[in-house]
Amino acid sequence: MTAIVDLDRGAATTASATRPKRRRLDWGHVVSYVILIALAVVYLGPMLMLVLTPLKTLPEFQKNAIGLPDTLNLSSFANAWDKANFPRYLLNTVIYTVSSVLIFLVTAVFLAVAIARRFVRGSGSLFTLFVIALFLPAALIPQFQLILRLGLYDNPIGYVMLFLVNPIGVVILVNYIRTIPVELDEAAAIEGCGYFRFVVQIVIPLIMPAIATVAVLAAIGVWNELILPTIYLSNQDYYPITRGLLVFYGVYGSDWPSIAAAVLMIAAPMTVFFLFAQRWIIGGVTAGAVKG
Amino acid sequence: MDQRFGGGFARLAPYVYLTPGLLLYFLIALGPSLATAVFSLTDATGLPNLPVHWVGLANYKEFLTLGAAARENIAAILRTLAFSVAVTVVQFTLGLLVALLLNQKLRGTKFFRTLFFLPVIFGVTVQGLMWSLFLYPIGGPLQSLLHSLGIELGYLGGQPMEAFAWVIVVQIWSNLGITMVIFLAGLTTIPSEIYEAGLIDGTNRWQRFRDITWPLLTPTVNTNLILTIIGSLQAWQLFLVLIGYKDGTQVMGYLVYATAFGATTGGTVASFRQGYAAAASMVLFAFVLVIGMTVQFLLRRREARLLG
Repeated sequence: MTAIVDLDRGAATTASATRPKRRRLDWGHVVSYVILIALAVVYLGPMLMLVLTPLKTLPEFQKNAIGLPDTLNLSSFANAWDKANFPRYLLNTVIYTVSSVLIFLVTAVFLAVAIARRFVRGSGSLFTLFVIALFLPAALIPQFQLILRLGLYDNPIGYVMLFLVNPIGVVILVNYIRTIPVELDEAAAIEGCGYFRFVVQIVIPLIMPAIATVAVLAAIGVWNELILPTIYLSNQDYYPITRGLLVFYGVYGSDWPSIAAAVLMIAAPMTVFFLFAQRWIIGGVTAGAVKG
Repeated sequence: MDQRFGGGFARLAPYVYLTPGLLLYFLIALGPSLATAVFSLTDATGLPNLPVHWVGLANYKEFLTLGAAARENIAAILRTLAFSVAVTVVQFTLGLLVALLLNQKLRGTKFFRTLFFLPVIFGVTVQGLMWSLFLYPIGGPLQSLLHSLGIELGYLGGQPMEAFAWVIVVQIWSNLGITMVIFLAGLTTIPSEIYEAGLIDGTNRWQRFRDITWPLLTPTVNTNLILTIIGSLQAWQLFLVLIGYKDGTQVMGYLVYATAFGATTGGTVASFRQGYAAAASMVLFAFVLVIGMTVQFLLRRREARLLG
C-alpha cells in the first residue's frame, strides 16, 4: 500500500520509503508556490495599505502615500472615532444584527422542522419556494412601497423587518434536519412530548452546527448591508456602520489616514471574527451552494 | 403521521409555529419580488400619497425604444453582459486553479485559503474603500508601481472604460474566495483511489486533470458557473462605492437603483420613477432567467453525457 502513496493528486508526498533519500526538487510545487504567492501579494497589498495609512499624518500621506510613517501617529483613529460618529453607528449595527438574526433563527427553525419532516401539507412545494428565491427579480421596489405604506420608512423596526427573511438559511437548515434519523421524532411522540418541547429540547440541540452556520451567514449579511440603510433610513442617528463609513468618506474625501482608520476599525474585528468562525462560514457557503 | 404529537388541536401545532416564518417570507421577499411585475405596469413614484395609475407596457416601451435614454439603457444592458462575462470567465478559471493548487499537500495551504476568502466577509463597503485607497492616483501603491514601469493609468477617476475595468478587478478580488471554497469542497468528494489508479497507469498531471478531475468535478463546475453568472449579472454595489453613478459605466442593477431611489441617496421623492425602474428590473430579470436557464440546460446535458 505504501508503494502507491506517492500519488500526485496534489502530491501526497509523504516521504515514501521507495523514494531516494536525495531530495528532488518538485517543479510542480515550485510553480504552485509562485502562483500562490503572486496572488497573495494582490490580496495582501490593499490590506497592508489599509493598515499602514492610518499611522501617518495627512501631510505625510500627501507627500508620500506608500512610505513608512516617520513616527507612530495614532490620532487618525481618535479622529475617525469622533468625527465618524463611530460608536453610535457601531451600536446601531450591533442592535440590527443581533435582533434580526435572533428573530430570524426562531422563525426559520420552526419552518425548517415542519418542512424537513413533512409535518405540514405541501412541504415539498414550500421547500421549492425557498429554493427558487435566488433566481427571482429583486424585491426592492415593491418592498419599499410596502414599508412606506406601513409607515415604517425611516424606522429601525421596519429596517430590522427586512432581514427576517433569508431563504438560503432555511434551505441549509432543512437539508441538515433531513440528515437526522426520523426514529428520534417517533420516540419523542411515543413519550407524549408536545411539539414545542420536541423542537426546542430535541431538534435544536441536534442541529446546533447548522444553526451556527446560518446565524453567522445571516449576521454577516446584516452587518455588511449598505443599500437597504441607504434606501430606508434617512435619520443619521439610525445609520449602521456601513452607511456611516460611506458618508464619512463622502465628507472627508481626501483625508485618507482618517478614512483608512475608520475602515480598519471595522475590518480588523471582522478579520478576527473570521479566523474563529471560519469553519461555519465556509461550511455555510459550500452548503448553500450544494443545493443548486 | 399527523397524530404524532397527540390528537385534536395538537395536530395543528406544526402549522401554527410555521406561520410567522412563512408569513414574513411572503410579505417581505416572495410577495414583493413577484409584485415587481405588477409595479412595472404602473406610474408609481417614491411618494406614498400620490395616486398610482396603470400604464400598460408604456414603461417597457419607453425603456427599450424611446430616444437617447433608450440607447443608454441598451448600452447598460450590453455593459452588464460584458461585466458578467469578464467576471465569470476570470473568477471561474482562477478559482478552479487556486483550488487545485491548494488541494495539494503543500505547506501553508490554510494560510492562502484564509487570505483569499477573507475579502468575502468584508462586504462591499470595506472592499470598495480598501481598493479606493489602493488605487489612490497620486503616489498610491499601484500608481507608484506602474509609474516606475512607465505605465500611466487613470484609475477610478479615469476614462469610463478604465474605471469599469477596475470594478471588474475588485469584484473578482472580492468574490474569488467563494468560487475557491466551493471547488475545494467538490475536490474532496473525488475518491483518491481513482488518482492512484491513474498514477499506476503512468499518467501525468495534465492527463489526470483532464481525464479524472474535470469530468468528476462536473456538478461543482455547474454550481459555480450558475452562481457566478447570476451573481455577476445582478452585481452593482461595488460600482456605487468605487466610482458612483458615472456615465458610461452603469450596469443594470445600478440603473434600477438610481432610477428608483436616486443615484446616491435614498428617500421619498416624487420624481423617483419606481414603476419605470420596476420595468427595468424586469428586463434584468428576463436576462438572468434566460441566460440562467440556457446555461443550466446545457450543463445538465453535458453532465448526463459525462456522468450518465
